[in-house]
Parts: sequence; C-alpha cells; structure tokens
Amino acid sequence: MSTLDTSYQQQVAHYYAEHHGWIRAWLYRRLGNACDSADLAHEVFLRLLAKPRRFDSAGHARAYLHGMSRHVCVDFWRRRQVEQAWLEVLAGRPEAVAPSEEHRALVLEALQQVHAMLARLPEKVAEAFLLAQLEGLGYRTIGERLGVSERTVTKYMAQAMYQCLLLEAELDEALV
Amino acid sequence: MKRSSDPLSEQKPSHAVLQQAADWYARLTADPHDASAGEAWRRWHGQSEAHRQAWQYVERVARRFATLQEDGDAAARTLRTARRTDLSRRQALRTLGVASGGALLGWLGWRATPLPQLLMAWQADYRTATGELRDFLLADGTHLWLNGATALDADYRPERRRLRLFAGEVLIETAAETRPFVVDTEQGSLRALGTRFSVTQQDGFTRLAVFDGAVEVRAAGSGATRIVEAGQQLRFDRQAIGAGEPAAAARQAWARGMLVAGDIPLAEFVEELSRHHRGHLAVAPEIAGLRVMGTYPLHDSEQVLAMLESALPIVVHRPLPWWTSLEARR
Repeated sequence: MSTLDTSYQQQVAHYYAEHHGWIRAWLYRRLGNACDSADLAHEVFLRLLAKPRRFDSAGHARAYLHGMSRHVCVDFWRRRQVEQAWLEVLAGRPEAVAPSEEHRALVLEALQQVHAMLARLPEKVAEAFLLAQLEGLGYRTIGERLGVSERTVTKYMAQAMYQCLLLEAELDEALV
Repeated sequence: MKRSSDPLSEQKPSHAVLQQAADWYARLTADPHDASAGEAWRRWHGQSEAHRQAWQYVERVARRFATLQEDGDAAARTLRTARRTDLSRRQALRTLGVASGGALLGWLGWRATPLPQLLMAWQADYRTATGELRDFLLADGTHLWLNGATALDADYRPERRRLRLFAGEVLIETAAETRPFVVDTEQGSLRALGTRFSVTQQDGFTRLAVFDGAVEVRAAGSGATRIVEAGQQLRFDRQAIGAGEPAAAARQAWARGMLVAGDIPLAEFVEELSRHHRGHLAVAPEIAGLRVMGTYPLHDSEQVLAMLESALPIVVHRPLPWWTSLEARR
C-alpha cells in the first residue's frame, strides 16, 4: 500500500471536481477567511487520498466529505487555540524574548502534536505526563502534587504513553 | 511483563505489545538507574520485530516532547490552557454530535535511527555489557578483547577451535596451534591463518579487519570465499563479500580504551559510541552524514558527546533519562 494506485487517484480527482467548490464555500462561511478555507479544503482531499475509501453513491460521498470538512475545521480551531494559548504565555513573561520565526514554527508544531496526544487522556493522567515530560519531575513529586501514590503515577504514565503509541500506530497506518 | 507470542514475521505491533512498550516506558522512567529493569527491557526489546517497532513509537512520542523541553514551563502552561478551552468546546460540540478528528496528518513522521539490535545472547560464554571492555585468555593462549555489548560462545574441540559471535565486536589474537581457528557470524565464517583480527557482528552484515597474518572469509549463503591480508578490512553479508579497504585504526584502538574516528559519518561514529553508552543514542537523519575525526575516550561517553557538540553543528537532547538524541543545531 505504499504507492497509491492510480485508479484511486483518478477517483479522488473526480470527487475533487465534483465537491471541492461547496466544501471551500462551506469552510469559508465558518472561518471567514479565504486563505485558510482554501488550505483546509485541500486538506480534506489529502486525507481522502491518505485513507482510501469507496462510496456507494454521490450522496454518500457528500455526507462523508461534509463530516471530513467539519473534522479539519475542528482541528484547525484546535491548532489556533494552542497558538493563542502559547502567545499568551509568552506575553505574560517579564522580559519578552522573541523567538525566531523558524523556532516558533517548530515549537508550535510540537505543541499541537502533544496537545492532540493529550486530548484523549483523563485530566490527572495528562497532568502527570506533562509534569514528567516537560517539567522533569520524578514520580514521587508528581504523586504528591496530584494526591496519588507513586504506583498510581506509574500507571498513569503507562496509560498516557499507551494512548500516544496508539496515535503513532494510527499515524503510521495513515502514511503507508 | 509477559512474553509476546507474536510471530517474528508480524511487523505491526498489536495493542498488547503497545501496552507492554508503554509499561516499560513507565517503569524505566520511574528509575532510570534500575539496571535490572534496563536489562529486562533489553531482552524484551530483542524478542521480536513487533517489540522493536513498538519501541520506535515510544521514541517518536519522546521526540515530540523533546522540542518543548527547552522551555518546558511555557509549554506545560500552554497545553493546560489549551486543554481547558478544548474540553469546554468539546462538550459543546458533543451536544451537536460532532466528534473531532485526530489531527494526525499534519504530523511529521520523524524516524529515529533504528535501535541497535541488542539481541544479546544472554547465555553466551563470554559477554560484555554496554560500556564494558573485557579481555579473556582462552585455554590455548588465544587472547580475546570484547568491545561493549558483545556476546560470543567458544567451542573448543580436539580437532578445531570455533567461536560464534552473536553481537558486538571482538579483537582476536590467535595462539599459534595446529588446530584450525574459525569464527562464525550470522553471515558466514572466518578462518584465521595465524593472526590478529577484529570481527564485528552488525545488523545484516559482518565487518572484518585484519592487522596481522590473514583471514579467510566464507559467506554462508553463496559460499563465496576470499582471503583478507593484514592491513585490510571489508564487510560481507550472506551472499557477497565487499571490496577491501585499508584497515581502520579504530578497529583495534578500542581495545586500549580509545575511539578513533578517521573521517567517518556521524551515524557510524555514534553506532560505535553506543556500545559504551548506557541508554539509547539516536541521530537525526539530517546530521547523520556529518564527518567526524579524532581520538575520543571510550570510558566517558558523556564527555565524547560534549566534544561532538562543540566540534559539530549539533545539539545533544536528553528527552528521557536513558534516551539521548543528537540533532541539528538550529
């Protein structure tokens, strides 16, 4: 499955001709920004290419693409929101160190990835993972902060990593 | 932790294997200095391709966090805020019957260099741990120096002397005797013709460097043979024997506790160093080809990393206590 068969590519090209217009318009209504909506409309079709799918009817395709458009929209908002939160944290700093454009892009990308990974986790599990991975705290200290035993922290850490591994495995599948 | 029953042919880790990898991660993070856990992990890791694949995912997750650790405090605060707003919006969306997609496709599939095949033969007669150099004198007077993370069996019979190298590197000074002296590796066998030579079992091939006398190589698959003279080194796999080149001084310098790099790619250097470094060393693909020269102290891998950092446009990240990755300096 490493190379997409050309017949499927043609199929997607056909869907593109058929549906791209309304998807872009729909996204534009939601976002109010032509640039972003054009990007996201393309992302819908990229996702369709990455995860091949056949539709029984034009109506089926339309419904699926509609759902997909909502997904990319939600993801887009989520990315924005991470960016917003980060800028606020930086602005609250006593001395404003302006990171380079490149570094900024790198950090934002990583923040969005980690945010997506944490989204599936229960509150305490996510918090334990953040404290260990980003603040470098040991299990004992984390346990004290969260009011749980070290054993439980170990369980949280395994649980968090497991969810992240599922995402990684999913990602691999989406890419091959 | 239970043994996985996955057949070796199955590449994709099952959910059970992913769970095991996550458990190992939690256990190793709890106490990075727990040597017995590290050893048990290495065994688990070597058990199957699925285990190794699952562990690569662990590394990828760690890599995603690595970028953020420089300013971990800001990152943690950002993520907490984003999580809170996300939660409230998600609740709102749920009432509308909208689920969120995984946001996966934007991710870059950064791949760490595969973990070294640490499938150590733990029952082997002679072995060294990572970072350990040892020498042994065999009954016939043959002298063996084992580089870090090396395992081999010695099988001496009245009619022949035979070593089986499972992993790592051994420098051999054979004692003059009438019995033939043969070293077997995964890819073939090496017959010593009165000699000093080093043999390295790599992933998929064997490397031979001859310093004295000569060695006859025989590839196990094709049966091809070649005699390698003193001052020469080459690689071979089960089918073919590669071209000879001048023997690198590094192939015997390690026996004196030195790592000698004569203009070699960083990836190769790090592979060498990893035999002396506790924990995993990874190199980002974009810097794997940087050239390294010089003589480095093998007993202090942290010192070597610091030397590399000052000599090359790289930074050393330590996203996890037992995991070190070298990346391009930005």
